[in-house]
This record gives sequence, structure tokens and C-alpha cells, in this order.
Amino acid sequence: MHRLFWKIFISFWAALILFSATTMFAASHFVDRLRQRQEATPLRQRILQDTVRGQSIADRSGLPGLERWLRRLNRHELVPMLLVNRRGADLLGRPLPPAVLQRLARGNFPARRPRILLPGHSPYFLFPDFQGVTLARLIGRPHVIMLPLVLAAVVSGLVCLALARYLTAPIGRLRRATEAYASGQLSERVAPSLGGRKDEIADFARAFDQMAQHLQELMASQRQLLSDVSHELRSPLARLQVALGLARQRAEGRAAPEFDRIELEAERLNDLIGQLLSLARIEAGVAATQREPVDLSELLATVAADADFEARSRNRAVTVVRSVAAVIPGHATLLRSAIENIVRNALRHTAEGSAVTLSLEREAGRDGWLALSIRDHGPGVPEKFLPHLFEPFVRVDDARDRSSGGYGLGLAIAKRAIGVHGGTVTAANEPDGGLHVRIRLPATVPAAAQPPAVADPPGVRTHAPPALPP
Amino acid sequence: MDHILLADDDMELGEMLTQYLGAEGFAVDTAHDGETALTMARAGTYDLVILDVMMPRIGGFDVLRALRPRSLVPVLMLTARGEDVDSIVGLELGADDYLAKPCNPRVLVARIHAILRRAAGGCGPAGPEVLTLGDVELHTGTRCVRCHGQQVLLTSTEYSVFEALLRAAGRVVSKAQLSEQALGRVLTPYDRSLDMHVSSLRRKLGPLHGDERIKTVRGVGYQYVRP
Repeated sequence: MHRLFWKIFISFWAALILFSATTMFAASHFVDRLRQRQEATPLRQRILQDTVRGQSIADRSGLPGLERWLRRLNRHELVPMLLVNRRGADLLGRPLPPAVLQRLARGNFPARRPRILLPGHSPYFLFPDFQGVTLARLIGRPHVIMLPLVLAAVVSGLVCLALARYLTAPIGRLRRATEAYASGQLSERVAPSLGGRKDEIADFARAFDQMAQHLQELMASQRQLLSDVSHELRSPLARLQVALGLARQRAEGRAAPEFDRIELEAERLNDLIGQLLSLARIEAGVAATQREPVDLSELLATVAADADFEARSRNRAVTVVRSVAAVIPGHATLLRSAIENIVRNALRHTAEGSAVTLSLEREAGRDGWLALSIRDHGPGVPEKFLPHLFEPFVRVDDARDRSSGGYGLGLAIAKRAIGVHGGTVTAANEPDGGLHVRIRLPATVPAAAQPPAVADPPGVRTHAPPALPP
Repeated sequence: MDHILLADDDMELGEMLTQYLGAEGFAVDTAHDGETALTMARAGTYDLVILDVMMPRIGGFDVLRALRPRSLVPVLMLTARGEDVDSIVGLELGADDYLAKPCNPRVLVARIHAILRRAAGGCGPAGPEVLTLGDVELHTGTRCVRCHGQQVLLTSTEYSVFEALLRAAGRVVSKAQLSEQALGRVLTPYDRSLDMHVSSLRRKLGPLHGDERIKTVRGVGYQYVRP
């Protein structure tokens, strides 16, 4: 069952064994070479060679040159080469091994033993000190066993690389599938791409696919439910509206205010159902999948123009004070309803004779973000309500909101619609009164369309009269 | 008296609408499913067909699809509110207009009048004329359009849009202006009707010298290209 467990266990074990085996092989190879050197003939030749070289250096640069050469030799060679005179002192002051000391004490130097002669000094003899080969000395001179070590590292590295690849490749597949889900492609499946793999990751992928399948079905039924609810709630409403029309025809002008009232309430009910449905639709992620280029400045201009037209009759105004060319990939209807809902909310609360001001800017300092702000000149919102402003059915002031036609859903829709586009909405009170709603949206702006100047959309006044004459 | 076929599966609604429209001076027949609606519409005695999108078995779209190539009877689609796709599909299939349901019956009557006015197609004060521009010919008397001498079958709404664009050939006609001239109503947000009518006009008339015959001027409107 724990196939992945065994895979990891065995491959790590194998890699470790492989590495130790290579290291051991390297060590034995090294020991062999060391032994070869200790054999009489090659050893004598080596001593002879080094003595000849030492002699030539001593002839050229005297004792200091000899010391330098000896130090270099000591650094590069694993076996220390002692240069000892008859009094038993090493030229570099290194301690002598007992074997050498004994031989010195016996004084039996063969006359043929090669020596280095320096004027004014007793002759020096080269002794290889095999006992001086310690682990510390070996570690200090890694180049002598570098090749086998590198080989061992490369081989075990390749094994571990393959293992890591094997383990993480399906995780990468899972990540890509998750990203696909996040962007709304629920038909993505992972297991088929893993082939005949049978381990915990494959089990995980299958479980993941099952979850995706379940989600997909859930979404489909959610969508079906939405459309059913929409149909079932609206059929009675449609009949109500026609019945109302009939009643109007028969009443021949009587009770007109009452009929108007019923019509208004029916329309409100209809709007509310529509808003509920669009909220549910956004939350179900239905809208997230359809994206097209949306011209945000054009959208802002049309929303402003429409709202301004209605505002005029109530002695208020909606003006765009700043705008930049910005086209972002998005869902036009959703973005429009988001902006429209916030603008309408602002318009409901702005004081008579004042204007709701809109601006669209590229965020200073942070590239790729657009800042859209909507500001009214009304009483603002009590601080404690600010965090809940974008929740469904939250009312700041019951009586006033209802009379001004708020349903407590517009801002919730706006927040979710902006969220679908990867943006955020925040609200704050301005010190001089009025609510300031800020929308931040990630923007993909065509490089050509970045005029720093204020865009001037047709039909929208770009100057900002803060107040209208009463 | 104008004769209207109302296809809606909601019988009570149909009954009340029949009364309401009757009082407004229309003769209304009702059908409660797509099959009946299609048979009745094909009989060809109606001035206008009102089709609900959501009907059992054969939906409004299927009825329209089956009806359209042969019959040019004006069709008004009733779509579910908030389903933008529905309206686009309906207009693509050749509906003259659409109205989101539930709707105010007064708005419905206004739309019916607008469509019937287009279909009746008054010749204007100058009497019947023939507009010719390049390879197209438009007869305002018979409301028929010829392209390369071949008759092009346009719905009455497509015809009105085309006439408005052709009369202003070479100039840009704003969407708001076109909506009022050709559809007889003020342009509202989210309204994709004009876009759809223009795209079916493009499809039916074909390209002009390998280029688009009707250009979209983004954010403004449309322009019929002067050859």
C-alpha cells in the first residue's frame, strides 16, 4: 500500500549505498597507490628525483629557496617529505617519527643515500614520513582523492535528481490543475496524465479528480437551481405585473397612485430577485470564466453619464474628474454593475446640490494596478459600520436606506464582482464628510495607451464642480 | 386589427396578456408549447409572434430556428432577466427584439407597436424610393434589399437598421441615434440588440471589396462604408 514510502526509502537507501561504495572504492584505490609508493624501487626513485630537484633549487636560491620548495611540497603531497640533517632536525621544524630518529641515533646512513648539499651546512636527507599520513592531513589536501569523490557525488546527485523529479513532477501537475480550477476550468483531470503510476501521489491525484468531479456536478446543479429559482420566482411576478396592467385598464384612471405604488414595489421585488441571482451567480463562480477586453475608462464614462442624467432631476450630479485609458481583461457586465452599484449608492447619500466624483488612475508606485475612486458628499457612514458595508443586507440606517431605495445588496455584489477580477474594494469616511470608496484592480494596459494626460470621454464633463447651485 | 401569436407555457399569464393586449387593440392567439407555436406560426397569418424562451419540449430558440429561414414574421423574444446570453442568442437567430421577463405590460405594448411599425414600414413623406449605393439596392416601397442583384431576406428590424445606416452611408451613426431611428426606443445599458442586428446584416450582405461593409466605431456607433 505504501508504495511511495518504499520508493523513497529504497531510493534514498540505494543512493546512500552507492555513495558509500564509491567512496570506499576511492579510499581503497588511494590506499593501493600509497602502498605502491612504499615499495622499495619506486620509493627510492622518488627520493632520488626529489633530492636532485632540491639540490638544484638549493644551488640556485640557497636555504630560503629550499624552505619554500619544501613547504610547497608539503602542501601538495599527502606523504610528508622530511628534510633532515645529521643532528636530527627537520628544515621546517616538524617532529620526526621514531623510526627516523632511531636510524639517526644509529647513525647508519648508507653512503649512497642521496643528499642535498648546502655550503656551510651539514648534508640534508629526504625521508618520506608514512606515519605522518593522518585523516586531518588527507582532509586538508582533498585534491589527492578528488576524482573519485567527484564521481561519487555526481553519480549520487544524478540518482537523487531523478528521484526528486519523479516525486515532484506529479505534484507540479496537481498544482497546474488546481490553478485551472481556480480559473474556472473544472473539467481538468490529473490522474490520466500520470499513466500507470500506482502510489500515494497517484491515489492523491485520483482523490483530487473525484473532488473536481464532485465540484463540477455541484456547480452544474447550482446553476440549474439558480435558473429554476429565477423562473419560479419570476413567473408569479410576471402574472402580477400583467394583472396590474389589466386592473389599470379597468380602473380607467382611478386609484392611479396606488397602482403606481404596486408597480414600483413589484419592480423593486424584481430588482431584488435579480440582485440575489447575480450575487449567487458570482459566488458560484459562473461569471469567472468569461473574459473579454473591457475598456474601463469608457465604462466609467457611460456609467457616469447615465447616473448623471438621473441625478440632474434630483439636483445632484455625477462627474468624472480624472480618467486614464485602461483596458483590462474582465467581465463587462459584472464590472459595470459593480461600478454602477457603488455610484448609485453614493448618489443616494450625497447631499442635495453636491456631486459624486469619480476618478480612474494608475496607482502611483505600484505598476499594473488601477485605482478607481468614488466619492460622495453626504453624511458618510458610522465608523463601526465601515467593515460591514460590503456584506449582504447590511443597513446603516434602516429607515433612511429603505426610503431611498437601498436593498443592502448592491455593495455586496460590487465587492464580489471586483473580487472576481482580482481586485479589492475599501471604504473610508473623508474628514470633510462623505464616503470615499476605493476600488483597486489589477490592470493589463497596452503599452501604447499610456497617456499621462487626462482622458476626455465624450459627453462627460472632466472638470469638477464640487457643488451645484441649489 | 393586428394579429399576434403569443407562445408562453404559463397559461394564466397567457390568458391575462390576451385580455390586456385585446384591450390595447390586438387579436391574440396563444400557444402553450413550442410545437403548437411552430405549427401556428408557420400557418403564416400573424403580424407578430411573441416567443417565450423557456417552454417545455421545444424552447423558444428552437421554434425561432425552425421558423427563420423561410418566414420573416416579426418575432419578439421574452427572455429571463439577467441572462444576457439568451438575448444574444435570440437576436442571432433572427429575432426582431427581446424583452426581459417579468416585464411591464406597457413596455411590451410599446415594443409591439415599434416592431409592427417597422414591419408595416411607412414609405416616408417622399413616397417609395430606391436607394442605390454600390452593389446594394434598397426599395423603401416593397422594403426589399438586393445585393449584386440577388434579393437578401432581412427581418423588418434588420431592414430598418440597414436603411438608417445606408441613408447615412460614409458617416458614423451613434448607437443611441440608431436605436431611436431603427428600433424606435431609447438605448439602454446592456442592450446588445444593435450589435446583433448589425452582425446579422454583415453576414447576410457579405463583405464589400473583401472588407467589412459596416464598420464598428468603438465607443461611438456604426458606419456603412461608402464604396
